[in-house]
Amino acid sequence: MAVTIRGKGVISGIAVGKIMLAGQNLDGYLVNYQPGSVDEEKNKAEGALTAVADILSESVERMQKNEDQKEQAAIMEAHRMMVQDPALHDSIMNKIEELKSAPQSVLKAAEEQAAMFESMEDEYFAARAVDLRDVGKRIAKYILGVKEPEIGDEKVILCGQEVEPSVIAGMPTEQIAGVLLGAGSTTAHAVIIAKARAIPTVVGLGEKLEAISDGDHVIVDGEQGEIVINPNEAERASYNEKIQKQKELAAHYAQLKDLEAVTTDGVKVELMANIGSHMDVDNALTYGAQGVGLFRSEFVFMGREDIPNEEDQFKAYKEAIEKCKGGLCVIRTMDIGGDKPLPYLNIPKEENPFLGFRAVRISLKRRDLFLPQLKAILRAGVFGKAAIMVPMVINVAEFKKVKEFIEEAKLELEHEGKAYSNSVQVGIMVETPAAAVMTPVLAKYVDFFSIGTNDLVQYTLACDRGNASISDLYNHFNPAVLTLIQRTITSARENGIWAGMCGEMASDPNAAVLLLGMGISELSMSAPSIPRVKEKIRSISSIKAKEILADVMKMEDGDEIKAYLSKVL
Amino acid sequence: MTEATIMIENKTGIHARPASIFVQTATKFKSKVQIKAKGKTVDAKSILMIMSMGLVKGTEMTILADGPDEAEAVKALTDLVASKFGEE
Repeated sequence: MAVTIRGKGVISGIAVGKIMLAGQNLDGYLVNYQPGSVDEEKNKAEGALTAVADILSESVERMQKNEDQKEQAAIMEAHRMMVQDPALHDSIMNKIEELKSAPQSVLKAAEEQAAMFESMEDEYFAARAVDLRDVGKRIAKYILGVKEPEIGDEKVILCGQEVEPSVIAGMPTEQIAGVLLGAGSTTAHAVIIAKARAIPTVVGLGEKLEAISDGDHVIVDGEQGEIVINPNEAERASYNEKIQKQKELAAHYAQLKDLEAVTTDGVKVELMANIGSHMDVDNALTYGAQGVGLFRSEFVFMGREDIPNEEDQFKAYKEAIEKCKGGLCVIRTMDIGGDKPLPYLNIPKEENPFLGFRAVRISLKRRDLFLPQLKAILRAGVFGKAAIMVPMVINVAEFKKVKEFIEEAKLELEHEGKAYSNSVQVGIMVETPAAAVMTPVLAKYVDFFSIGTNDLVQYTLACDRGNASISDLYNHFNPAVLTLIQRTITSARENGIWAGMCGEMASDPNAAVLLLGMGISELSMSAPSIPRVKEKIRSISSIKAKEILADVMKMEDGDEIKAYLSKVL
Repeated sequence: MTEATIMIENKTGIHARPASIFVQTATKFKSKVQIKAKGKTVDAKSILMIMSMGLVKGTEMTILADGPDEAEAVKALTDLVASKFGEE
């Protein structure tokens, strides 16, 4: 029997692949490391130094054969010499006497050397600190058994205590078969990206991850949260059966792909995809998405040291817009705050980042950040149908300021002689109770509303969506939430603009029926949810949806509504 | 003990690439090799120690070797520095 471990399955589907450990953060491994005697630790360090030097020598030899890689080869050669350096060696051995742990000592010794480089005046030498930290980490990883990720042709299962969002975002969809996280709630950013790409994902594995080594072959069951490590023939066969069923369901959904999301009495709803990167669009279209209802532009900003420039952003947005093939592409401007600090934003640690300096509140104060983003979107708009969506708005004044920025961006583009689109729609994400309440006024200024339920539910119910002990309170069918949503949709209709939804609620087929009854015109969700929502919409009439909505709006309790919908639908 | 003093004249000084060539050359010899510059003396077979000296263009340094092949070591290393490591 192969070893099986269990966590929480958050994105269903079965995946088979080879483990690629992506633990860039070594803290989790260091805590679980069991050191031996001082002599044993010294031996381990010696062994690691020799082995890492050998590995580096091999890559240097390989790279030197290739003209393009000569530069890289020289750097790797310098790294090899650092690994074999007598001074570093002595420092590590001294540290082991004191710290008793080989990996800790390696990191400490490298850090001390790095700090010394950093203190040097010459910029070039100061920059070598990065090389030393890299070298230290490499040796420590060797001792801890965390291997360097190598991307081959085989499909990989990304695995780590935490996987940085930029790691997943930076890899092509077809390369990642599954994701396993030690930590992680269902709303972790790595999970959100995985969801957009329908990658089977299991979180909350904690220490159980130790059972998995780099290069293991595993089966991941994203529904049951089960991971079979190095499965035998019988286990493979039983999972092959499940994969078969999964394929049948996918085939059934595939038949729906080109059908419209239309009720039995002819009311149409546009179904769009939420994406985290321009690389997600192709995958989204295979599920029948008619465009992109939410492009989270944060990932353009994350995993880097400086503000992404207009040109880099323009390229990413242009690609996403072009790939929508004439469908609308709604780009949300930067939605970052103290919970995901970026080095170049310099936001001090806040006690309550979700109610703090974030999203549009930052954009309006940081012209250096906001103008390049707006200019990039306006320019990319030339290549298709684009919209700008502003997050976290609470009043009309903020939106007016955004419009002023957009005018300024256009003026600059004109001066620079760059082509831009004048038909980019500008709307807001309705995700604060204040915005929802004020939609009758806001509707006079905006081109559209898109309801962001993840935050709207959280703010309306004063209920942290990541907190497991109050997860029973977090319910998008709560009458307070439904009332705000209905108000938003009604305000839009009365003012002749469109209203959509881009939160998780949109992927709940039963919720889709209520929203249909309220008169919503667009639903945006993680692409794999599109077929089942479409199937539900095609099975019902708009009259029936209105009747159900009327019943529901008389009810007093969210759980009652949820139960009622499950019964009648 | 053999020693020789030389001025560093290549544009970028002894940064990563020249430092690695320097160390590679020094380790070929059995003798103990050191360099003395800016009032400090360090092991010439340690890239970290050499890089930590911040040997930029125009620094004067002394190469000291002690052992069976000390003369050859000092000559090889002074030649290397004089050749500007093949740079400008």
